[in-house]
Amino acid sequence: MTSKEIILNSIKSNISTQYDMPDFNLNAIQYSDKIARFNEVLKSVGGVAYLLKAGENVNEAIRTLYPEAKVIASNCPDISCATLNPDGSDDAHQLTGIDLAVVQGELGVAENACVWIPQNVVHKAIYFIAEEMVILLDKDKLVSNMHEAYKQITFSESGFGIFISGPSKTADIEQALVIGAHGVKGLTVILR
Amino acid sequence: MSTKHSKAGEAFLNDREHASWHNESLWFVREKRDKVSKEIPEWEELRELSSQIKMHTVSHLDTYLEQFTKNAEANGVIVHWATDAREHNEIVYGILSKNKVKKLVKSKSMLTEECHLNPYLIDKGIDVIESDLGERILQLMDLAPSHIVLPAIHIKRQQVGELFEEKLGTEKGNSDPTYLTRAARKHLRNEFLTADAGMTGANFAIAATGDIVVCTNEGNADMGTSLPNLHIVSMGLEKVIPDLQSLAVFTRLLARSATGQPVTTYTSHFRKPRKGGELHVVIVDNGRSKVLGNKDHVKTLNCIRCGACMNTCPVYRRTGGYSYTYFIPGPIGINLSMLKSPTDYFDNVSACSLCFSCNNVCPSKIDLGQQIYKWRQDLDSLHVADPTKKLISNGLKFLFTKPALYNTSLKMAPIVNIMPRFMLYNGLNEWGKGRELPVFAKESFTELWKKGKVK
Repeated sequence: MTSKEIILNSIKSNISTQYDMPDFNLNAIQYSDKIARFNEVLKSVGGVAYLLKAGENVNEAIRTLYPEAKVIASNCPDISCATLNPDGSDDAHQLTGIDLAVVQGELGVAENACVWIPQNVVHKAIYFIAEEMVILLDKDKLVSNMHEAYKQITFSESGFGIFISGPSKTADIEQALVIGAHGVKGLTVILR
Repeated sequence: MSTKHSKAGEAFLNDREHASWHNESLWFVREKRDKVSKEIPEWEELRELSSQIKMHTVSHLDTYLEQFTKNAEANGVIVHWATDAREHNEIVYGILSKNKVKKLVKSKSMLTEECHLNPYLIDKGIDVIESDLGERILQLMDLAPSHIVLPAIHIKRQQVGELFEEKLGTEKGNSDPTYLTRAARKHLRNEFLTADAGMTGANFAIAATGDIVVCTNEGNADMGTSLPNLHIVSMGLEKVIPDLQSLAVFTRLLARSATGQPVTTYTSHFRKPRKGGELHVVIVDNGRSKVLGNKDHVKTLNCIRCGACMNTCPVYRRTGGYSYTYFIPGPIGINLSMLKSPTDYFDNVSACSLCFSCNNVCPSKIDLGQQIYKWRQDLDSLHVADPTKKLISNGLKFLFTKPALYNTSLKMAPIVNIMPRFMLYNGLNEWGKGRELPVFAKESFTELWKKGKVK
């Protein structure tokens, strides 16, 4: 017998009572002002939400938010302030030294400030290896909670997707919160 | 007779200042958990749903594991099965040696601790780098985690400062957490860039889609799987859940219960190997399937490893993770250790005051306290019951079943109030060690009741 068969047989012989899957008729939390809640939570987890004003240029906004960023990587067509298209690199290892990555998000979640990104770049390393990151998000693509989010998210051909809520962080030294562990040290979600 | 836990706990408490700091650090996490959970009106419904999904899944585990495997394999993932720790380690080494891996970066995985993977691989000549900050600190100190989510919760910043000064060349005397974290970031970034393979655990495996889901804050699991082409996932077989709708329930509970965050920074879904790379999943039994047949303890398989039971436990907070003899401490660890081997780990069942706080915070509603109580009832049959406590217990049984004798004893009890200390607090009074006797009332409740004094 293979190990797979041994394990599955052991499981079958040890299960006694079987339980049904519960009904998901949960009255999950709803936010009347999803943008306000998203803002508030993102701030609490160390990020920033920036609501683009009518007629405001996204590139100018990025430039104002990150005046010191020299190397800006993006494959988004309207991000003209980008100095580098990360999809042009042969190898993810070449993506060091990026000050700011600008990427497109698909869906935001108000309850926990998550943004869903189905891998939409060649090297997913860009989401983590840059010093700071901007996620662009359509402000109409906000849902209240994770139940709604998981009903709507899509995957790309690459087969990787991620919810990101704020910049990377750690509290492993004496429970003191430090923003910026191994991933990005700062995160702005531009809602437009 | 004291258990190994109570002896180690006593030693931990000798450093009053450190013990008090440890207690407060964990209570701070528990309070954060209370605050964020109260923001969700349906919190208790979520816990119930989580418990029911887990009960359903583990009682159909064969079906869900086969479904997961079928879908993962269709996505190009290579699935392996390991009956025990040895087989797990051999499979992992087999994959690494086939790919000529010299350096492996790992993100946090309690399963690989359970299997003692690191020493096994290091012995084979693999350079194994833990990349979670807490885990890296402990690896450099040659210590094991003392908590499953906050592995270095017992280490002070000054100790980290001195360690980094020696190992990473940081400034002398600088123990600022931000400075030290930045130094670790720089050091580990180099390790990520030069690693040949990345290894992660799995928080969840989704049967319906074949996804492996990993929840982290630091971004280390993602750095470690975005640079090297080879990704190995080590998962306990109870990690599988039916579908993404079930995952929604668990993602809402996990981080709120664990650290009081609304969600972890990263919730990564690995569905396919990276282009040109390989994704391996090793499904490990190592005694789990047998737990399915244990009606009193099957609910331990509901555990999503959030650590909330540790943060709330008054005994864990005041004795520290190393006081337990199993690699997972706290209420869940006590139960898992007894399932592993009662004769080896019975010392841990004394580490419980039966306050049941763990039951009330567990996001999957595991009856942790009741289970510990049940284990204690088995101690006599293992011939490891404490003889002093057994004597007291038998004496009380004798007394409680003889009302006349009981009432007479109670009338005599106030004499204890005026007895000199040396007669009360000596080696014969097990109960009086480390605590004060109460003042006995002059009249018992029965007497008060009979005289009509109870209103």
